[in-house]
Amino acid sequence: MAQIIKVKVHRYNPDTDDEPYFQDFDVEYEPGMTVLDVLLYIQDKFDSSLAFRWECRSGQCGSCAVRVNKTARIACRTKVQPNTDLVLEPLEKMPIIKDLVTDVSQVTFRIRRIRPYVARDKPVQHPEIIHAEEIEKLREIRKCIECSACISNCPIVHETWDYPGPMIIRQLARLELDPRDVEDRIAMAMNEMVYSCTTCKMCEDICPKNIKIPSLAVELLRAKAVEAGYPLASGQQGFVDQINVTGRSVPEKDTPLLKEIPNEEFLVDNPRGRVAFFTGCLIDYRMQDTGKALIEVLNRNHIDVIVPKEQWCCASPAFRTGDLKTAHDSAERVTEIFETMMEKYNLDTVVVACAGCGKTLREDHRPLIEEKRGTPPKFKVYDLAEYLLDVVGEENIVRPKGQIDLKITYHEPCHLGRGQGVVEQPIELLKMIPGVEYIDDPMKNRCCGAGGGLRAGQRELSQMIAKTRKEYIEATGADMVTTECPFCTIQLNDMMKDSDMKVRYIPDLLAESYKKGDE
Amino acid sequence: MDYKTIMCDVLVVGAGGAGCRAAIEAASHNLDVIMLSKELLGKAHTAMAEGGYNVSLGNVDPDDNPETHFKDTIVGGNYLNNQKLAEVLVNEAPQRIFDLEDMGAVFDRTPEGKIAQRPFGKQSWRRTAYASDRTGSEIMVTLTEGVRKSSVRVFDEIFATKLLVTEGKIAGVCGVDLKYGDYIVFRAKSVVMATGGAGRIFQVTSNAQLDVGDGYGMAYEAGCDMIDMEMIQFHPTGMVKPESAKGKLVTEAVRGEGGILLNNKSERFMNRYYPEVMELAGRDQVARSIMTEVLEGRGSPDGGVYLSIAHLPRSIIEFRLESMIEQFEDTGVDIRDEPMQVSPTAHHFMGGIRIDEHAGTSIQGLFASGECTGGVHGGNRLGGNALADTQVFGAISGDSAAEYAKMAKHPGVNREEAIKEFTRLEAMLNRKEGVSPADARDELTKLMWEKVQIFRKEEDMQYAVKELRRIEKEVVPNIKVDVPLKRFNPGWHQAIEFVHMVTTARMVAEAAVIRKGSRGAHYRVDADPNDKGYYNIVIRKGKDGKMELKKEDLVITKITPP
Repeated sequence: MAQIIKVKVHRYNPDTDDEPYFQDFDVEYEPGMTVLDVLLYIQDKFDSSLAFRWECRSGQCGSCAVRVNKTARIACRTKVQPNTDLVLEPLEKMPIIKDLVTDVSQVTFRIRRIRPYVARDKPVQHPEIIHAEEIEKLREIRKCIECSACISNCPIVHETWDYPGPMIIRQLARLELDPRDVEDRIAMAMNEMVYSCTTCKMCEDICPKNIKIPSLAVELLRAKAVEAGYPLASGQQGFVDQINVTGRSVPEKDTPLLKEIPNEEFLVDNPRGRVAFFTGCLIDYRMQDTGKALIEVLNRNHIDVIVPKEQWCCASPAFRTGDLKTAHDSAERVTEIFETMMEKYNLDTVVVACAGCGKTLREDHRPLIEEKRGTPPKFKVYDLAEYLLDVVGEENIVRPKGQIDLKITYHEPCHLGRGQGVVEQPIELLKMIPGVEYIDDPMKNRCCGAGGGLRAGQRELSQMIAKTRKEYIEATGADMVTTECPFCTIQLNDMMKDSDMKVRYIPDLLAESYKKGDE
Repeated sequence: MDYKTIMCDVLVVGAGGAGCRAAIEAASHNLDVIMLSKELLGKAHTAMAEGGYNVSLGNVDPDDNPETHFKDTIVGGNYLNNQKLAEVLVNEAPQRIFDLEDMGAVFDRTPEGKIAQRPFGKQSWRRTAYASDRTGSEIMVTLTEGVRKSSVRVFDEIFATKLLVTEGKIAGVCGVDLKYGDYIVFRAKSVVMATGGAGRIFQVTSNAQLDVGDGYGMAYEAGCDMIDMEMIQFHPTGMVKPESAKGKLVTEAVRGEGGILLNNKSERFMNRYYPEVMELAGRDQVARSIMTEVLEGRGSPDGGVYLSIAHLPRSIIEFRLESMIEQFEDTGVDIRDEPMQVSPTAHHFMGGIRIDEHAGTSIQGLFASGECTGGVHGGNRLGGNALADTQVFGAISGDSAAEYAKMAKHPGVNREEAIKEFTRLEAMLNRKEGVSPADARDELTKLMWEKVQIFRKEEDMQYAVKELRRIEKEVVPNIKVDVPLKRFNPGWHQAIEFVHMVTTARMVAEAAVIRKGSRGAHYRVDADPNDKGYYNIVIRKGKDGKMELKKEDLVITKITPP
């Protein structure tokens, strides 16, 4: 018996249909089948008028991007699994011509608007000498095949065409990196709202060529803008100044966690491991209880926790907004602090409970320090949930016993899921809490709108993104949304102000269940 | 039958490597240029070319020069090339690659910062310029940038279906807007055909879906001379599995960088056939060697042979063959550790519209360039010569069309003929009974793959010709689109394409039958030893509407066949 894939395909002919509708097809699965094969099967066997674009079937032309179960992908390189359901829809933000075929003229117009070619101001002498190192980065972002998939799922473009989308920002970076181009691409990037990106990395995840658009294009252009003297938005500048003065991105309010704790050692009997805890600014200055909850959760699982009293900001705000001086200084300082701790306490693991800090330590500090001194930081970095599941191990985790009878969904922080590859572990933790009914949000990895300096720099746009996110969360019907990032928590709390939806940080919820279980 | 008319000075049909280059060139003459693209701009098959662009810059091997490039091209082409055209190709390839760099292309570099060059099959020196193994994509992206800078008006997703000729002069083109189904007549003073090849007439092909021979069909119907249509290049290394990936190109760069071919006994079998050049023998030679291994039972379980690059350092593979890693990763094979399975795939048409050194055809005001033309590559095209061809002749065709347009007026258009064409297209939608395009296509591509393939023989080809004549008479007039819609209806597009496919397939088969000896890509198991094959076969549509074929003398400037 052949395995069957149930496929729902978006159909729409504006000439004859008032509304789009979905049509169901059963497709016989074949090993190695792609979404394009599924579409061709339907076209050949059921309906030759089904409209979709395709040409090369090799991931080289970029014609066949569609949304596959809500996320844009190029069909010819997206594998399908047997006995699964597929929902195929056209790219977002583009008017529909028919079925899965969209009108891409807005994208074409936006590309032409940036004068998307190497501009020259004098005749070229041949042969033109260009060294391999000059085009190394350029070569990476040059691989773009203009499939437009990244534009479709961009949370910024979703709210406004003021931002032209990742693909076009990438083309600006491609030209900025080209030693031959004479245009002022930084001014253009500012005009194209390069500071609107939240660096959520959805585009990077979607890109069939794996182009790291947020770091290789957005952050690169921002760094060059700072270098060229463009000021940061006042909200962003405040964070960065604060880091340079105090080592914290936010001003002190209540007694910080690091001042409150009596000493830096939280040791247990018969420890199965020992970690240093990188608090980050928000846990130290704003969410002290969460910090304590995290220490408790680790201690309860027989892990010694060392909390260095002197810590420094990872400088994520500086990395994201392009203030490389602050960013590099902080990276060195953080590395030094934790390498000292490694020696002093004989440990090799740093646990982080903030998605933004974890991503910055892993994706930004690591290569930077390696480039500077030849070796990366000596310690390993883990997110809390990742550490519990992958290092302590599911079978060894001390189960929380306190009943929490709630329907709970999960908001995946961008810098945890796509930034650190931690996707399932926080959900596994949630499911361990007695009474919790976990409800999956198909849009759980949609950006909350806080990151990349957006909450600080463009509050209104940030809130528009949050409002869209809120609608997805509410659609799950859960009582509570949980997450694993303080910054997302703050944004979620803001967006849920007028809502019954509760917002919790996963370590808090775990600690609560542990405590309840003790009673 | 309603249609609208759009005017321009120069019309370029096709938006791949040659079409874009032609349009950019023509627009530089202060003329109004329209480029028709059957797909979205930038999506053309050129983007799939992987290995590179042949140009005798001598950046790596300083002794290389156009003379040697010419000799390699003629010897590789089995002496069937139009030597005038080949001379143009080798002489102008350097300037055209500099044009690409001027427009922004990023080719890989030598340590001195010049364009790097690598070895390819049947070439005396390392001559092939590249951008990893996505050279075609690099060129297509660059040309797209170039077109966006230019004044060229791009009409994308327009399917040109017929050339309009008035008193021997080109007058325009009939087309369908694929998006909304409108009929359009484009009137122009001159027209450039840059419509690419027709790999899709074979069941297994490396070609994109749009490569169905539209240009061959249209040019033939309009009365152009067609040349060397029997010469089809089967690329030796296409993917074997999964079924849906069958025929996808595995670049020659794999062998250029040192990849070796092995049979199921782990023997490096090229040693048996071409020990001097091994894996870098001509594409026709390697394809036949692989097929012989498979037919004699030494193939892989899936009907191919093994191609291995795993002995090379991972860093080299990752830098120079990145697309191949990606392409095989999708099928669960890591080429850094494991061999690939490969077998031949229909790849390139050496033949096509006959052109002169100015890219002129036998119709006044009609020019052509790129794969839709014949003569440059003779009986077998060297890997890396096609991208060079698109740029060299693309530029020439654009220039010639512009010069012609400056001197010409818009010829009148025969409106009845246009209406007749649109009525023909409309009829496919309105037929109550008939053959579905998908079924018709499957029958045709299977026939061609089985009967007009790498190893050819008289009875197979006679059978194919008989069948094709039947299909032309019985199936073509009865093609019926399942759903009678004009707005973006792929069923309709396939129906229109099918007619071009049949005309193209017939030219291939009819020419193959009358060439009795083996020469170049045309290899007969029953070859007549007395037929040395030093002639070209020229096809044209006779006054009575019948296909006329005749042998003509080779065009020789420097190298006489042995």
